[in-house]
Amino acid sequence: MTGLDLTALLAEPANGALRHVAGPDEGDWPTALLALTEELLETAGAGRLAVVATPLPREPWRVDALLRRVHERGYSALAVPGAERLDAGARRLAARIGLAVLAVERPVELAETSWRLAVARDALVLDLVRRLTVAFRHPARDLADLLSHLAAAAGAGVALLDATGVVEEHGGELAPWLGGHADLVRWDRWTDIVASPEMSVATVRVDSPSRPGLRLAFFAPGIRDAQVDALAVAAEIAMPAVAARILIDEVNTVTDASVSSDLLHDFLVSGDAHHEDVDRRMTERGWRTTGYHLGFRVIGRTRVDTLALLRAVSGALGPLGIESHAAAHGQGVTAWLRWVRIPARRDLERHVHELRAVHETLRRSFNVASGVGSLQAERAGLAATIGEAGDAARIAAQRSATNWFVRVDGLGLEQLLLARTENDTFLPAAESLLAPLRGDDDVLLTTLTSYLDHESGIAATADALGVHRNTVTGRIQRIQETLGVDMHDPSVRLALHLACRAVLR
Amino acid sequence: MIRVEREDLGALALGCALLGSGGGGATTQLELLAAGGAWPVDVHAVDAVDPATPCLAVALAGSTMVMTERLPGTDRLSAAVAAAERWLGCEVPAVCTLEIGGLNGLTALVAAGGRAVVDADCMGRALPGIDQVSLLVDGLPGLVVATTTGDGVGVVDRPRPADAEAVVRAALRLSGGTGAVVVAGFTVGDLAEHAVVGTTSRALSLGRGFLAARESAIGELAAAVGGRLLAQGRIQAVLTDPVDPQVQAFDLVDPGGAVHRLVTRTETLALMTDGVLVSAAPTVLAVLDVRTRAVLQISDLSPAHHIAVVELAAPTWWTARPDRLRRVTPAAYGVADLEPDLAR
Repeated sequence: MTGLDLTALLAEPANGALRHVAGPDEGDWPTALLALTEELLETAGAGRLAVVATPLPREPWRVDALLRRVHERGYSALAVPGAERLDAGARRLAARIGLAVLAVERPVELAETSWRLAVARDALVLDLVRRLTVAFRHPARDLADLLSHLAAAAGAGVALLDATGVVEEHGGELAPWLGGHADLVRWDRWTDIVASPEMSVATVRVDSPSRPGLRLAFFAPGIRDAQVDALAVAAEIAMPAVAARILIDEVNTVTDASVSSDLLHDFLVSGDAHHEDVDRRMTERGWRTTGYHLGFRVIGRTRVDTLALLRAVSGALGPLGIESHAAAHGQGVTAWLRWVRIPARRDLERHVHELRAVHETLRRSFNVASGVGSLQAERAGLAATIGEAGDAARIAAQRSATNWFVRVDGLGLEQLLLARTENDTFLPAAESLLAPLRGDDDVLLTTLTSYLDHESGIAATADALGVHRNTVTGRIQRIQETLGVDMHDPSVRLALHLACRAVLR
Repeated sequence: MIRVEREDLGALALGCALLGSGGGGATTQLELLAAGGAWPVDVHAVDAVDPATPCLAVALAGSTMVMTERLPGTDRLSAAVAAAERWLGCEVPAVCTLEIGGLNGLTALVAAGGRAVVDADCMGRALPGIDQVSLLVDGLPGLVVATTTGDGVGVVDRPRPADAEAVVRAALRLSGGTGAVVVAGFTVGDLAEHAVVGTTSRALSLGRGFLAARESAIGELAAAVGGRLLAQGRIQAVLTDPVDPQVQAFDLVDPGGAVHRLVTRTETLALMTDGVLVSAAPTVLAVLDVRTRAVLQISDLSPAHHIAVVELAAPTWWTARPDRLRRVTPAAYGVADLEPDLAR
């Protein structure tokens, strides 16, 4: 390609707000020529883009005549302010004479950009580099902040890629395109350029020891060779800063996690006694002890990466919209929700339900069990509910039936009931009642238990067991037929529920 | 001399409508008035009448739209003529029309009242302004303009063109939007140099030619009246000028793909095709309905109307001298960049 083309111009950020209005919607031109008025344009157009700074006249016949004159001087395209008001007749005329008409708000900016694209390609790179160095002057909060600074400075999209796809992206959307074209990026190369009509991407390997396999990508749709080459240079210049930022972020995270972990530990061992130093450190972290607290503890049923778990828990608690804190603590994460005023019972139940949802989200990535404490007030209460949550989590680690989730509020009554069933008369009766359901793997018994646990909800049971809903429906029917009981009778359900618990204990 | 029979009235009216160039008003009412008069009417050539004969130029003026609601009559014309004669102090034995284009082409016949009708007019087509009356444009001395007011007649003695226009416009407003205008104080001999001669006979022959070729193809019809078919197509859009709302640009979609713009004010002003000016005032651009072959007024035009634009030669009186021409080109109405190229 030589010179300019419409697609490349439209993709440039500083194109003077260019829009295609009428006539051919593609084309390339050797250069652009700026003139104050149409009369002052050079007489030999030579297929160039004419940029006229004076807005189009308001009379339609004068617009027609102007388009005609520009065309007859040999220009292939005309960019002029006010072209968006072109009426249907003028649009037909533009198409008829083959003159591309573009609306531009800042004609001088367009002329300058056209010059850079067509003639001074090094100026393109230098300009980009200069803008990037300006971006580095502003301190970034974290990696995402740095990437968004880079995107804003380069006027292009910036993304971090790994083998699975886009990790982070700013200033544009690369993920949809990358989904279908991931194989185009050559991972073994230091820098790599992929240019396609819909998206052009320049990537460079990120030299980061802690997170290998990352690439920094600068991308923009519809740009041409000169522009992608400039982006590749930009990516190479920005990469060390990105690598450094990744390292800094990681150190920050580890330090922060260990500080909060220590503080939580100190708080819990300090007990009821007010410890000035602990109180001050808690205030500094924004952990207030006044108000009402609900503890939540997540522990690994097998070995888990506590830092990753902490990130996941913090991330999942954030969207709940309640003040929440989390800290790594032993082989798990301790978190709590805080209210200034006592929450309504209904709200509390909703939040516990949300915590269960958080637990289920975590279960997708980690083999964990979670416990929830009861609502407690003030400083002593905070320690108490965290303690309860820890106990509940330990119990939950043994409870597949509740999907590894236990709440202390429900615990007391249930424990009491189960304690009553452990006598010599109930257990044999329960075992004989459920004997028809027992088999090699107790699948029917497990299904029944889970079904009763989930308030006879087919969908919830299916989710908990990881099977299809139709499978659950079928099994429940078989159970009813086998036992010959009416599951709609509350007392029958209670008896079955207790029997299941006693037998499975 | 030509003798106009009653059965020629339709052809004459049609010729006047063509010279109306899309304006000048519909001739129907004047045809009805004229039909009730004495027939035949002799129209005398200018050089066949004693040059010293005093003469009147008569016209109905004002909004042609209002005239379709308030039917024009002869009483207003008579009042204005009487005032002019009283001012001059003599009976005026000859009359011509002030404007041949549109309904005024028949006004001299209606207002003759026994006077000799002279084959000339002061515009050669339809024009909107009193300052575009040829006698005033040439600055003929001794002219008097009489115009009906609310309930009387105003007389302007020896006016400049702009004075005559302003006073007549004010008087017409008083008389309810329409009225009569009479220009007097000149002789038939003056008409030979300071007016467009032979226009009634031109209108009659145009009308006859048009009627004879009415059923033929539109291009042949144009040729039959000595004209040229410039454009035909469907009106796609009507764009009204934001500054002067009287100025409109009709966007015609040509079956062949060309982009036509018919620019109009009270009359058609210019036709531009594909960004090139094809024709402009004072050349007459008549607008025809392609299906019915009716001669259209600009107020009849609306989107989706299928029309043809036929060019008829401009009266040479206007094009002969630059000071005359500048009063009738589009620029005279403040419409820019549509000046006709007279070298053509």
